[in-house]
Amino acid sequence: MSKVIGKRVTRVEDARLLTGQGKYIDDIGTPPNTGHVAILRSPYPHAKIVSIDYSEALEIPGVKGVVTGKDVHPLLNPFSVGVSAPVHYYPIAIDKVRFVGEPVAVVVAKNRYIAEDALEKIKVKYENLEPIVDIERALEKGAPILHENVGSNIANHRTFHYGDVEKAFEQADKIIKHRFHFPKYSATPVETYGIVAQYDHSSDSYTVHANFHGPFVLHSIMAGALKIPSNRLRIIIPKDIGGSYGIKAGIFPYIVLCSVVSRLVGCPVKWIEDRQEHLAASSSCTDRVTYIEAAVKNDGKILGLKMKMIDNVGAYIRAPEPACLYRNHANTTGAYDIPNLMIDAYAVMTNKLPTGLIRGYGGQETYFPLERIMQIISDELKLEPAEVIRRNLIKKEQFPYRTASGGVYDSGDYEKAFDLLLKIGKYDEFRKKQAEARKRGKLLGVGLAVIVEPSGSNMGYITIALTPEERKAGLPKSGCSEAATISMDPMGNVNVRISTTPSGQGHETVASQIVSEILGIPHDKINVVAELDTATSAWSIASGSYSSRFASLGSSAVYYAAHKVKNKLIKIAAHFLKAKEEDLTIEKGNIVSKTDPSKSISVKRVVGSAHWNPLSLPEGMEPGIYETAYYTAQAEPPDDQDLINSSVTYGFVADLVTVEIDPETGDIHILDYFTVHDAGKLLNPLIVDGQILGGLVHGLGGAMYEELVYDEKGQFLTGSFMDYLCPTAPEVPNVTIKHIETSSPLTPLGAKGLGEGNTMSAPVVIANAVNDALKPYGVTIDSLPVTPNKVWNILNQSKKQEVSS
Amino acid sequence: MNGKGSVTLNAGIEKAWEVLLDPEALKNCIMGCKKLEPVNENKYEAEVSIGIAAVKGKYESTIEIADVQKPNHYKLIVKGEGGPGSVEAAGVVDLVPIDDNKTELNYTYEAEVGGKVAMVGQRMLNGVAKLIIQDFFKKFNKELAKSEQSI
Repeated sequence: MSKVIGKRVTRVEDARLLTGQGKYIDDIGTPPNTGHVAILRSPYPHAKIVSIDYSEALEIPGVKGVVTGKDVHPLLNPFSVGVSAPVHYYPIAIDKVRFVGEPVAVVVAKNRYIAEDALEKIKVKYENLEPIVDIERALEKGAPILHENVGSNIANHRTFHYGDVEKAFEQADKIIKHRFHFPKYSATPVETYGIVAQYDHSSDSYTVHANFHGPFVLHSIMAGALKIPSNRLRIIIPKDIGGSYGIKAGIFPYIVLCSVVSRLVGCPVKWIEDRQEHLAASSSCTDRVTYIEAAVKNDGKILGLKMKMIDNVGAYIRAPEPACLYRNHANTTGAYDIPNLMIDAYAVMTNKLPTGLIRGYGGQETYFPLERIMQIISDELKLEPAEVIRRNLIKKEQFPYRTASGGVYDSGDYEKAFDLLLKIGKYDEFRKKQAEARKRGKLLGVGLAVIVEPSGSNMGYITIALTPEERKAGLPKSGCSEAATISMDPMGNVNVRISTTPSGQGHETVASQIVSEILGIPHDKINVVAELDTATSAWSIASGSYSSRFASLGSSAVYYAAHKVKNKLIKIAAHFLKAKEEDLTIEKGNIVSKTDPSKSISVKRVVGSAHWNPLSLPEGMEPGIYETAYYTAQAEPPDDQDLINSSVTYGFVADLVTVEIDPETGDIHILDYFTVHDAGKLLNPLIVDGQILGGLVHGLGGAMYEELVYDEKGQFLTGSFMDYLCPTAPEVPNVTIKHIETSSPLTPLGAKGLGEGNTMSAPVVIANAVNDALKPYGVTIDSLPVTPNKVWNILNQSKKQEVSS
Repeated sequence: MNGKGSVTLNAGIEKAWEVLLDPEALKNCIMGCKKLEPVNENKYEAEVSIGIAAVKGKYESTIEIADVQKPNHYKLIVKGEGGPGSVEAAGVVDLVPIDDNKTELNYTYEAEVGGKVAMVGQRMLNGVAKLIIQDFFKKFNKELAKSEQSI
């Protein structure tokens, strides 16, 4: 029991989840007279709403009400967002629709069936406008404009110069550049969005149950949109969330919509999103065009980088965007020692679904061009890719390493991890096998990627979207606070309340491990409550489950809260035993003296006294055992030079993937996927490997299957799982996971976040492997997903060229 | 989506033209057509129920006939909206006489769909379009026969 942190403890959550006793949003029941919501959505990507006639819908028996943008407009403010462009985003279209799937009207009925049928009776007249979906066309003069009052489709534009980029490019032997396009894709949790919202007239307040998982800074934004004091918006998160991978942060517009609909229709309302709605109109990652230029020496050393990134945030920029552009700002140069960096960052709006968090958030978009250009550099300089990587890796003695853009990499041994990767992946052996296979007409390829995995977002990083002057006008933003509460009841049993709103990551288990080790109580006797209630929980704007922040921040809050409880128990025991506090320790349910074993008192008795006999406590001590700890790591706001340490801890991931391509069909078969991780001290290796595998499969989706496809007219074409392909169990390749552990000096347990790393690395490492296999054809994979179709076209194109030449 | 095709109609060109522009005959020939009423010359309102992939539902449509060059050529402009989404289509029809009792009909069409039907039905559209057109002309030849009998 004393050493339980770091053990492969099985999850306390699993018993209820595996026996069908999970408590998800759809399990919590509804208040009497609850109406069920169905949402009418725009079939057009860009159109004016001329009129909406819902008189026939109201006549259907069982319909309680219909609400349109015109009805909610007077009750709402547009959502605030951290850019200066005056984009007015409401949860429902007011006078214009800007993407296919945008809510246009809401029906509330006795049940969902009636509500859905009533949607067909609503007549909307649209006047179509020219749509725009292409990222770069959206920037051109004369392109259709989504938001007339913004005047262009640019929601945010910032340029950053770090080091001496021009000098680096002058000193280079060669400048190697390329354009890359990263696709828009989704996260597809099994459980979709769900909300039960109730407006209370007497107090002018809203109570909302929703499977929202933060960041809770969005609570302020929702209250602001509803025009109410924030303590009149009570949001309660159910015990279980059926997966999210970031996308459920995007539920917030629907929370506001359902709230205001409850108010207008006069009954509680419930809405469970269906799969088509989820794919078309929940949220997604950005699609991004990146122009990357590397100034290199002939030995492969990179002197400087220029990156022009154009992120497509969809029809409306909404919080926390443009964070996708900036979440990886500190680690833009990845695992490499590159002191000179220029970034030209754009967020543009087009007639597509608005974006937000998904696992990896910005990492996959950043590392796709970076790690692809590493391979292109090695090809052009005729060097081994592994050599080019090694030449540029940050060395062990450089930690803590200050990146060009202001990041502080807390710890690492990248070379050790990379060497381990090449060894377990049998890199040199595979190269020989590949050469022999090529002689026989077989297409084998090997890809490498090394990435830095940021975790625990600094709340100050989003303000980098503003200029230093613009930032001065507001309150500086910093930190990454998280809270936990631990109490002991009169019988000495422990309850832990966490505000990290897990969606399957096993926070209850890990919290119980930490508390167990500190208080000397078996972990399965500890009750962890993960429901967050904004009216009664301890939480902060940063609370929630995103940016892999539990291992670095959530666990630290639990750690310090447990220490507060322990200190109080020891103080009481010292008083009773007439011993010195520093002489006492907790052992098997007793507090005992280290020097005099006869001095001993049970924890149960100590706790009991705090409840039953408070007058026996030391002078001035409060009764009860109930301690809350708020924790933040050192995370400074951006400075005047735009230097920003955008995350708290930085892990490392090195991937090696081998593939075989069928030249007849273009089919890509992944032979092996090796991944080496350094996430500091691991709190529960069993959960760690599960998280890594899940993140990896999501990355595999981005690499080979998943894309939210729009045609050039802005119509959305992948509205079901028949068209939007997700990897399932049979698509998962052989995966070998290895760890090294270099403790973080910043967190009390030495842990760093993880789980998003392979979502960031898999798209590019697979692209590198495919590109390596196709090397004889002289092609460059510069967009994703790499489908058999794409590969087959490449192969056939070059066959045709051979024939014609 | 676009396409083209050709069919032989069992009637002379004048007769074929007459039936092609007869609302009652058209209503009988268009799959799932519940209603087809003229609103003015060369413009009709129609109600069509049809399922494409998993998307079944009713479209309220306007059908406009333009560019009329009797009895050889006309253009059909269809705009439909409904629960399953939106459809905009344009078709061009050319009639060429073969003999007194046979006419060749050549057609081309372009169509765009929006909303749910595009989201989940895209892959099926070409097949569905062909099906609807084949079905139309099968029924149309029956209409022609009916109209011959009634004379």
